[in-house]
Amino acid sequence: MKWLALIALALASLVCAVMLGPSHVPTAELFSSPIVRDLRLPRALLAFLVGGALGTAGASLQALVRNPLADPYLLGLSGGAGLGAVAAIALHLAGPWALPLAAFAGALGAMGLVYRLGLVGGAELDPRVLILAGVAVGAFAAAVTTALVSLSDATELRNAFLWLWGGLSGASWDTVRVMAIYTPLPLAVLYAAARPLDLLALGDEPARHLGADVERVKRRVYVAASLLTAAAVAVSGVIGFVGLIVPHVMRTLWGHHHRTLLPAAFLGGGTLLALADTLARTAIAPRELPVGIVTALVGVPVFTLLLRRWTTA
Amino acid sequence: MDDRLILALAGVTFRYPDAARDAVTDVSLAVRDGECVALLGPNGSGKTTLLRLALGLLRPAQGEAAILGRAAALWSRRELARLVGVVPQREETSFPLRVRDAVLLGRYARLSPWSGERPEDRAAVERALAQCDATDLADRWLTTLSGGEFQRVRLARALAQEPRALVLDEPTASLDVRHEMELFERVRALVDRERLAAVVITHQVNLAARFADRVLLLADGRAVGQGTPAAVLTRETVERVFRWPVAIEPFDDRPQMIPLRQPLP
Amino acid sequence: MRPAAHSPHLAGLLLALAACGSGARPPARGPIAFPDDAGRAVTLAAPARRIVSLAPSFTEILFALGAGDRVVGRTTWCDYPAAALAVPSVGDGLNPNVEAVAAQHPDFVALYRSTLDETAAAQLARLGIPAALVRQDRLADVAHAARLLGRAIGDATRGDSLAAAIDTFLAAPPPVPTTRVAFVVWDNPPIVIGAGSYLDELARLAGASNVFHDLGSASAEVSLETLAARDPDVIVVLADSTQAPAFAAKREWQSVRAVHERRFVYLVGSLFGRPNPRMRAAVAEFRRRLQAAR
Repeated sequence: MKWLALIALALASLVCAVMLGPSHVPTAELFSSPIVRDLRLPRALLAFLVGGALGTAGASLQALVRNPLADPYLLGLSGGAGLGAVAAIALHLAGPWALPLAAFAGALGAMGLVYRLGLVGGAELDPRVLILAGVAVGAFAAAVTTALVSLSDATELRNAFLWLWGGLSGASWDTVRVMAIYTPLPLAVLYAAARPLDLLALGDEPARHLGADVERVKRRVYVAASLLTAAAVAVSGVIGFVGLIVPHVMRTLWGHHHRTLLPAAFLGGGTLLALADTLARTAIAPRELPVGIVTALVGVPVFTLLLRRWTTA
Repeated sequence: MDDRLILALAGVTFRYPDAARDAVTDVSLAVRDGECVALLGPNGSGKTTLLRLALGLLRPAQGEAAILGRAAALWSRRELARLVGVVPQREETSFPLRVRDAVLLGRYARLSPWSGERPEDRAAVERALAQCDATDLADRWLTTLSGGEFQRVRLARALAQEPRALVLDEPTASLDVRHEMELFERVRALVDRERLAAVVITHQVNLAARFADRVLLLADGRAVGQGTPAAVLTRETVERVFRWPVAIEPFDDRPQMIPLRQPLP
Repeated sequence: MRPAAHSPHLAGLLLALAACGSGARPPARGPIAFPDDAGRAVTLAAPARRIVSLAPSFTEILFALGAGDRVVGRTTWCDYPAAALAVPSVGDGLNPNVEAVAAQHPDFVALYRSTLDETAAAQLARLGIPAALVRQDRLADVAHAARLLGRAIGDATRGDSLAAAIDTFLAAPPPVPTTRVAFVVWDNPPIVIGAGSYLDELARLAGASNVFHDLGSASAEVSLETLAARDPDVIVVLADSTQAPAFAAKREWQSVRAVHERRFVYLVGSLFGRPNPRMRAAVAEFRRRLQAAR
């Protein structure tokens, strides 16, 4: 029953994203309009894929670091991606894929660095070490980014920050295709790790005793979740709160079984971002809000509510 | 090969990295079907380390660790989980889970990553809950259980693995006398009726003496004595190992240790 | 990059000569006081003789007022007239390096009015250097700056003349718009110019209408969809080269007809990147390029 409602909501969010927009397209012309076909539809699909990727990555990472307040960006990925993107802007790299690829490369760099730090002293991806390493790498990347931004001229500065705030304006059938080809593999890896993630919540050693190959699971989850987040940031900048809020909301309805939680988080994340993007495009039309601001404005109150329930429970 | 021999340690020696001395020196242990072995010793004597060596989690510097005749290091975690059910000393309970689902986690080693739970898995869970007298707890949330109830559930989870051996690391710490006795009686029943092998690490020397078939007493990583409780737990040995004066009184043909008063200066 | 034609230079010179007026009066002496655009009271003991100009427009105005020899510091962006290049650069105009400015021992500093520069002005005041924050966002502000700078150099007449010439130019009825344009300054996210910017004014004077004139701010982020729906005839890009911008190759931008048909107009940074006295030349150049893009 819940699943039907979630799927219906997901479809509704896509319909909204296609039907609503800053320019008026009469319903009768919806299918023939090039604006809908070439702009709104790919953008709606991209929002769904990115939101779904972030939701799933968030749920997985929260299980990995055993901390429900974890967010896909906790592990320094957004910092690395931001640094890559700003470097690309500052270096005036050419080509339509320059920015996403640079952001992706930056995120992967951060992922590798945090992973390496997580292994220091035989820590074997200890959650606390991972979190600290993520914060450190993120802070370092942010510092270098700020330095680059301060050395560039005023317009590039403003534009770099706007990119960092997140937006789906680069959506096209090309980006949708890339995401659609890219995301299934990391998603499948995470789904296969769903049961071990349940075990991991008990602690590394109890999980081992129950039969989980803890090191392998942690590695795979870390890499797959990071790859999903890196791709999301590469195509759409840093869109916060989706990876943090969605798993929590889904957990209140679906519980802690990752075999059901992960797909629910995917659908929930996709729905949230599709709706947030629709709001971003229409709220102050003809101007557009950066979607990262919408998810933050929605996310912060929801988060405070959840926090209160969590601490008083 | 003795197929009743589940865990076998032969002369194992192990030192943790950057440690000053060996954690375990030249210890041997054999655990068979249908017997209960107790690991005793003061804090830091190497009991948990020995357990980790027996389960292949650590590799001995010298000596061998074998499980069902095969080197412990060759066993995958999954294979081992089908054979040995462990109730660890500590685990994290940070999130709400229903008892039935917690026990279901024990079926992990027998499930494939892509399939769902099968009827036989649910049946195993029900049976394990029944064995632990925890059927009435099945729909409760873990976070609402008392200490004794929670231990029963953890034991049920280990039993849901359908193991041939049970390993319990200090299972009665912080339990009251009733729950302590219940747990040991339950383990004893499983050993007797289901022919499970059981290894119990405990500080409860007296309960170990009452319920175990054999006892291994460790001190500073060495085996001070191994054999029947009566043979190992003599006054001289106990006083030497635990460094406190005791009296040993028999009860039910088993030695019971009574610590003597020794007022501090 | 220098623009192709030399007429902008000539036009600028003519404008400056027009401001000279007949019968030059000797510059005033004695203390000069006026308020700047941040409401601060600026006091000069005598007409400024060592000026640091922290905006390209001010540099141009000062040279146009015949005070080029009094400019002892400029920003790296001050590239007109050619003589300005001989003046030492003190770095950026926005959030300037106060030490570098002070090192030129100026007796007057002209800053662009923005919150970043208010701090710099306060620091200069602490060093005893009079500084004025002058707004330079709209074309009329250039006239205003001419008046103010004229006062500062003790030649209010020339300053006022230049200002009057600009005001006259701006007051003339604009032509009927024949082309619909949109200025795109960034592509991801798409950022366009609105009515608050001098570029919008230049467009109007050149006979074009900005499809985003309804946006009050100088610039704003819009959906690509909006840009496609408003369907400008031409996309205007501030660039020193005539190569199609990077976003022209992106798939999603093909939904904008002007991009798909490669109808771009390129405006050079030096002339169009900021409001400046050469606006007559700028408008003429703009009109020429719009016609070429038809």
